[in-house]
Amino acid sequence: MQRNLWIVFMVVCVLFVILIGRLAYIEYASGEKYERIILAQQQYDSQIIPYQRGDITDVRGTVLATSVDVYNVILDCKVLNSNKDKIESTISYLGASFPQIDTNEIRGILADNPKKQYTVLAKKVSYEDMRNFVKLTEDEETGSKIAGIWFEKEYQRQYPYDSLAASLLGFTTSGNVGMGGVEMYYNKELNGTNGRDYGYVNSDNNVEGAVVEPENGNTVVTTIDVNIQTIVEREIKAFNRRYARDGKPGSKHTAMLVMNPQDGSVLAMANYPTYNLNDPWSLKGVYKKSERKAMSDDEKMDALNKLWQNFCITTTYEPGSTFKPFTVAMGLETGRLSGNESYYCDGYEHIADYNVKCVNRNGHGMLDVRGALMKSCNDALMQMSYAIGSENFADYQRLFGFGQRTGIDLPGEPRTDSLVYDREQLRHTINMATNSFGQNFNTTMIQLGTAFCSIVNGGELYLPHVVDHICDDAGNVVRSFEPVVQKKTLSRETTTQMKDFLRSVVEAGTGAVAGVDGYDIGGKTGTAEKLPRGTGNYLVSFIGYVPQEEPQVVVYCVVDVPNVDDQAHSNYAQEIVHNVFQQILPYMGIEPTVPVVQEEMPAQESAPVTAEANTPENTQQNGETANE
Amino acid sequence: MAGKTVQLSRARKIRSIAYFDYGLLAIVMLLFAFGLVMLYSTSAYIATLEFEDSLHYLKRQLLASVLGFGGILALNAMGYRWLKPLSGLFYVLAFVLCVAVIFIGTAQGSSSRWIYFGPLSFQPSELAKLAVIIYLASMISDSAKKLRDWRNVVRAFFHIIPLLVPVAYNNLSTAVIIAGIAFGMLFVASPDYRAFIVIMAIGAVGIVLFISGAGYRSDRIDIWLHPENHEKGYQTLQGLYAIGSGGMFGKGLGASMQKLGTVPEAQNDMIFSIVCEELGVFGAICVILMYLLMLWRFMIIANNARDMFGSYLVIGIMIHIALQVILNIAVVTNTIPNTGVTLPFISYGGTSVMFLLFEMGIAMAVSRGIRLG
Repeated sequence: MQRNLWIVFMVVCVLFVILIGRLAYIEYASGEKYERIILAQQQYDSQIIPYQRGDITDVRGTVLATSVDVYNVILDCKVLNSNKDKIESTISYLGASFPQIDTNEIRGILADNPKKQYTVLAKKVSYEDMRNFVKLTEDEETGSKIAGIWFEKEYQRQYPYDSLAASLLGFTTSGNVGMGGVEMYYNKELNGTNGRDYGYVNSDNNVEGAVVEPENGNTVVTTIDVNIQTIVEREIKAFNRRYARDGKPGSKHTAMLVMNPQDGSVLAMANYPTYNLNDPWSLKGVYKKSERKAMSDDEKMDALNKLWQNFCITTTYEPGSTFKPFTVAMGLETGRLSGNESYYCDGYEHIADYNVKCVNRNGHGMLDVRGALMKSCNDALMQMSYAIGSENFADYQRLFGFGQRTGIDLPGEPRTDSLVYDREQLRHTINMATNSFGQNFNTTMIQLGTAFCSIVNGGELYLPHVVDHICDDAGNVVRSFEPVVQKKTLSRETTTQMKDFLRSVVEAGTGAVAGVDGYDIGGKTGTAEKLPRGTGNYLVSFIGYVPQEEPQVVVYCVVDVPNVDDQAHSNYAQEIVHNVFQQILPYMGIEPTVPVVQEEMPAQESAPVTAEANTPENTQQNGETANE
Repeated sequence: MAGKTVQLSRARKIRSIAYFDYGLLAIVMLLFAFGLVMLYSTSAYIATLEFEDSLHYLKRQLLASVLGFGGILALNAMGYRWLKPLSGLFYVLAFVLCVAVIFIGTAQGSSSRWIYFGPLSFQPSELAKLAVIIYLASMISDSAKKLRDWRNVVRAFFHIIPLLVPVAYNNLSTAVIIAGIAFGMLFVASPDYRAFIVIMAIGAVGIVLFISGAGYRSDRIDIWLHPENHEKGYQTLQGLYAIGSGGMFGKGLGASMQKLGTVPEAQNDMIFSIVCEELGVFGAICVILMYLLMLWRFMIIANNARDMFGSYLVIGIMIHIALQVILNIAVVTNTIPNTGVTLPFISYGGTSVMFLLFEMGIAMAVSRGIRLG
C-alpha cells in the first residue's frame, strides 16, 4: 500500500512540475504579446462629452439659431436584470416620467437582451424631464427602487423664430452638419471640439480617469436685423395671401433683399415659399396633403431641395428694366452720354429682322435720358446702347459684377459667366440692344443688388456679406468682418446724376407706387417677360434706396410670376417695397426729408400697414400734411 | 499488513500522547484565507456591477465556510469511524440526489446541477465525491485481501458505476474526478497492476464514446486545439492572456485587468489565471507548493492512520484534491480541453468549499487517531 501511495504521490508531483513548466512556458513564450493584447483590449469606458454648437444671432444679438441640451435615456439591462426587485418599480417610474417610453417595450428589451448595457429608450428628452428623474434617483426612498438607467447629453439645434430667415440661416443635420445658409458656410466656426471622459492605464497598470472639457463652437453674429427681416417676411407673406387664387399663392416666388449700400451688409434676405427651420423635412404648408401623398421619395426630395433654395443667391433670371440704370450709368461714366440727349420712341426698334418692342407699343414720343428711365422706355435705351458701344458695355457689365460670383458669405452662388454676353457676342446689335434693358442675360438678386448699391453710394462696389463678426463662447470677438471695397465702378458725379434720375422714377415715373410720403426715394422698376416669350409670364421687380443723400438702405424685391391675369406690372413688387419702406424707415431712424406731399398716392390695393398708426414719424407727417 | 497490526496493538498500550496534525490545519487555514483574498480580489468588480455589493461573492463563500468549519469541529469531536457503517447510506443518498437533480435541478448553462432548498443551493455532485471516498474506503478496508486478485479490483470499480452514470450525465468533469478517485484508491489498495490496465482501457473507450455522443463536448476538443478560432474559446484565451501578462512576479495583488469583466466568470474555474496575473509565475508556484505540502501531510496521515478505513479515507481525499488541482490548472493553462473543475479552497462555490472543509475535518479526525509511540 505504501509503495503504491508513493507512486501516486510521485505521479502527482510530476504532474505539478509539468504544470509549473507549462505556466513558465506560457509566460516565457507569449508573456509580452499577451500583455500587449490585454492593454489593447481595454475599453477604458470612455465617453464623449459633446460640444455646444455656436449660436447664430442677428446684428443686435437676438438669437436666431441655438443649441439646447437634450438627453437620451439609456437602459443598462445587465444592471437592472441583476436587481430583480427593482425592475417593476424602475419601469413604472420611467413610464411616469417619460410618457413617450413604452413600458412593455422595456420588459421585452430586458428579456431579449439581458446582458446588453446600452439601449436608448427615449431620445432628446428635455433638461427638465431629465432633472426630475435624476431627482427621483437621488432621493433616498425612490432612488433605492431605480437601477440601470442613465442619461446621455446631446445638443439639439433650435430656431426660436421657426421660419424666419430660413433659407438664409439654413439648418443642421445630425452630427452638426450645416445644410445651406449661414449654418453651412460657417459650419466650421459654429462647430467646436468634443470633450472626452475617459480612463487610461498609467505606468503602474492602474486605470485612471480624466476629463477633457469640450470646446464649444463660436457664435456667428450676422448683419441681419430681426425686425427688418420680420417686416419683410410679413409683407411678402401678406402679398402672397392677398393675391392667392385657385388654391395657389400670389406668386411662384417672391424674394426681397435689404442691404446697407454703405458697407455691403445684408439687413434682410427673404423668399417665399419658405420652410420651418425646426421641421425642415416637412412639405406641409407648401403642398396639399393629397399632393404630398402622391409624391415619390425622389419627388419629395426635389421639392425639398427647391424649398431650401435661397432665391436671392441661387436663382438666376433676366432682370428686365431694373438693369436700365446700369446702362445709363455706363453711358454717363464713359462720356458717351451727357445726360442731356433726347430720343424719339416710336414703339420699337427694327434690328436684324426683329421688331424689338417698347413697353408702350405706340411709342413714348420724344424723351430725354431722365424721361427714358421714368417711363422705362426700351427704345431710348437701345439707342443709348448704340452710343455706348459693345466693348464699353461688356467691360462695364463685368465691372458691376455681372457674370461673376459676388463672393457673399453664403453657399450656392451659381456660375453666371456663361449667362452674360462677351464683347464678341455683344457686337451683334440685337444682343446689345436687348441687354440694354435687361433681357437676354441672367443675373442673381445679390449681383444686381450689390451693383445697384455702388450706383447710389458714390461708386463703391462692396463685398456683400451677411456676417458681422464671430465671437467665442465667452463673448470675445475672434474675427471681425470689415467692409471691403472690391471695385470702384462709377465716379461720384455719375452717381449723383444717377440718383437724380432714379428719384424722378419714384417721384413721377413708373416707380410711384413704391414711394412713401415724406421720403426722398429713388429706384427703378422692372417687368421682364420670361422665357419662353409670349406665354404671358413675367418677373416683376423694384429696386430702390433711401435717402437721397448717403443712402442708408437699398431694397430689392422680385415677384416671380404673380398669380394674376395681367402680370406685366411692376406694381406687385412695388406694393411690397412700399409697405416695407413705410415700416423700416421709421424703425431705422431715417428722417423724412420732404415736408410736403406733392402728389396723391396712387390707389393702394394693399391693406393699410399695421405700424403706420403707431410710429411717431407718421403722426408727425400727418400733422405736417394737415398744416399744408 | 501484519506490521500494521503489530503497530496498532502496541499503540493501544501506549495511549498517552494524542496526535493532531497541526501542519495540515495550518495549511488548510492558509489556503482558505488566501482563497478568500483572491476571491474578493477577483469578484469585487463584477459583484459591484451586478449586485452593487463588492462583497456579494465573498459573503456567500463565507457562509458556506461557516458550515464547513462547523463540520470540521463536529468531525474532530465525533471521530471518523461512525462514517463506516453509514458508507452505504451516503452512497445511496448521493445517488438519489444525483438522479433527482436531473429532474428537479436548476439549470445554469446547459446542464442542471443545482438543487435549491429555499435560498440555499446545493450541488449533489460534490456530495457524490465524498460519498465515493467513504464508500470505497469502507469497502477496501473490509476486503483488502480480495483486492489482490485483479478481477476483484475491476469488480470493485464497477460498484461505483451506478453513481457515475447520473453524475456524468450532468457534469462530465465531476464524473472524471470521481472515477479518478476510485481508480487511485483501488490502485493504492491493489498490488496487481493488471486490473488497472483493464480499467484504463474501459475508461478510455467510455470517454471516447461519451465525447462523440455529446455535441458540445466534441466542440470543446476543437476549442482546446484552436481557442482563437472559436467564440467559446474566448474564456480560455482570455485566461491565457491573464497568465501571460502576469510576468514573473505579477501585477500586484488586486491589479488584475482581466478580472474587470474580460475573463468571464473569473471567480469560478478561471480564478487561477487571475492569481497568475496578479502574483505572477512565482505566486502560482507558491500556491502549487502549498497544495503539494497539503498532499504530503495527507500521505503522512494515511501512512500512520490507526486503521485501514481512516487510511483510505485520507488517500481518497488526497487523490481528490490532487486531481482537482491538476485538472483545474491544466484547464486554465489550456493543457487539456476546458472542463468545469474548481480550484479547491480558492474558486467560488459554496457546496464545493463546504464539502472540502468536511473532507479536511475527516482527515484531521483521522490524524487524531494516530498514536505516537
